[in-house]
Amino acid sequence: MSTFNKRLFAVWLILVGITASYLWIDHSAGQRGVPTASTVITVGAICFALIKVRIIMREFMEVRGAPQLLCRLTDFWVVLMGVAMLGVYFAGKAVA
Amino acid sequence: MKRPALLDEPKRELWLAWYATVAFYSLYAIVFFLVTRTQPPGKPWYDPTQVVGWFANRHDGLLIGFAIIFVLGGLSATSIALITYSIRRMSVSRAFSYSYLVLYAVSAVPGFLFICVAMTVGAMRPERNPVIQRWLYDLGFLSFSGTMGVFLIGSLIWMTAILLDKNRVFPKWFAYLNLCNALTEVVVAPSWIFHVGAFAWNGVIAWWINVVVFGVYTGAFIYLLRCMILREDFGTGPLPDLPSRHWHTIFPAEVGAS
Amino acid sequence: MTTTESPASLLPPKSSRHVPGQPDMWVFVLFESLVFTSYFCVYLYARTQHEAAFLRSQAHLLLWLGVLDTVVLLTSSWAVARCVQHARAGRYGLARRDAWVTAGLGFVFLVLKIVEWARLIHFGHTFTSTQFFQYYFFLTAIHFVHLLIGFVVIGVLILQLKDPRRRRQETVETCATYWHTVDFFWVLIFALLYVVR
Repeated sequence: MSTFNKRLFAVWLILVGITASYLWIDHSAGQRGVPTASTVITVGAICFALIKVRIIMREFMEVRGAPQLLCRLTDFWVVLMGVAMLGVYFAGKAVA
Repeated sequence: MKRPALLDEPKRELWLAWYATVAFYSLYAIVFFLVTRTQPPGKPWYDPTQVVGWFANRHDGLLIGFAIIFVLGGLSATSIALITYSIRRMSVSRAFSYSYLVLYAVSAVPGFLFICVAMTVGAMRPERNPVIQRWLYDLGFLSFSGTMGVFLIGSLIWMTAILLDKNRVFPKWFAYLNLCNALTEVVVAPSWIFHVGAFAWNGVIAWWINVVVFGVYTGAFIYLLRCMILREDFGTGPLPDLPSRHWHTIFPAEVGAS
Repeated sequence: MTTTESPASLLPPKSSRHVPGQPDMWVFVLFESLVFTSYFCVYLYARTQHEAAFLRSQAHLLLWLGVLDTVVLLTSSWAVARCVQHARAGRYGLARRDAWVTAGLGFVFLVLKIVEWARLIHFGHTFTSTQFFQYYFFLTAIHFVHLLIGFVVIGVLILQLKDPRRRRQETVETCATYWHTVDFFWVLIFALLYVVR
């Protein structure tokens, strides 16, 4: 395997690892069968998802090798999505 | 002094159609949002008494506003014709332009005529049985929001034509925007099922977000039709590009291409 | 001007940086991301207003199945990324193989999704049963539609790779960009529907 392919494999492993870690979150969330709300888990889940999205964009979608504009734009987009989702979540909790 | 574009003999009719398109969409927005106030839509969960109140609040607006639409609604033909023209100018088969034309010609009926008729009938006799008033209300809003099949397929036809086109009539990003618009038609489908919530005909997802996408889409194609007319050379080959100051806004793919 | 490359860097030198695929497809990716983000925001807000009800409904989902779905799509993304690299290096046979693997994994995801829906419906959880399930079925269905479009896109990709007269690296990358979008939308949807508490 060329060096380049090894990098892709490593990226895939990291992404699968982060995904699998969600199973651990579920176990630590509370007693099975008794669902409980958790801000920490919500924020963590969203942040991990956005980290994965950024990795997918930079590595799989080859934004790493793209012009600066696209790099900055995609990073901005990830931040924007995070701010929007977390913002709405916390606003909702405040109103509820 | 440079002759204004409007007086250029060959393009005069195209410009006429383009200005009529702008006039139509402006009229549409003003009538639906301001005069009749049927958009944003009324609430689906209203009982008959509330519906009677809704009609009463809008009595004059409905009658006047939709009378204007009945008289001038034919302007919608110009936008359909111009888009059909743009598809014919492409290198793809004429079947695309004919299909689009037929689909969108039909679309005027559910697109706005049904709701105009239903709401005008409802406003006309305020003393009518409230249950029937609510029937008209439901008919109007469901037909407006729920009959999306023609627009979905029409958008996909336009998208496919642009992607296959070698004459570069429209940029490829607009083809993908057609896909986004087509998907909004799918998103609105649950409005037939839900009376409350984000998927009702006035819901955040089924209406508000969809309207934003539709607004962006409409603004984009009105602008791109203008660019097409400016570039039109009445040939059958690729359209020439606009002078360089327009380059970046239309064909980002061309910039810096090696 | 000297271009410096860091030792482990496999980045092309700055002078040859290029946009992966058509920039037009990136316009779509960014725009559609905003649309999906708005859907996610609506869902999250609704969740905060009906926390207990959403949690009760959510408990009927199988987290491990969601994880499996995600791993399948991530692997399909990996396959299409390898496809792009093979195509760039002129190894079209391998590229075509990777494209078929991508489609195959997409099909696995499709089957898993249908099975999951059938299971939920069998247990009485439908589009109209609770607010959580309204959002669940909506988000997974709209993603499913994107996936179906993705099969058409992979079809275009395979056709591109088959015919030496047709192939363009830009089209290959454009198709891959679309598929990755389907993948990362699912990454977000999975976190929001299955994990968020």
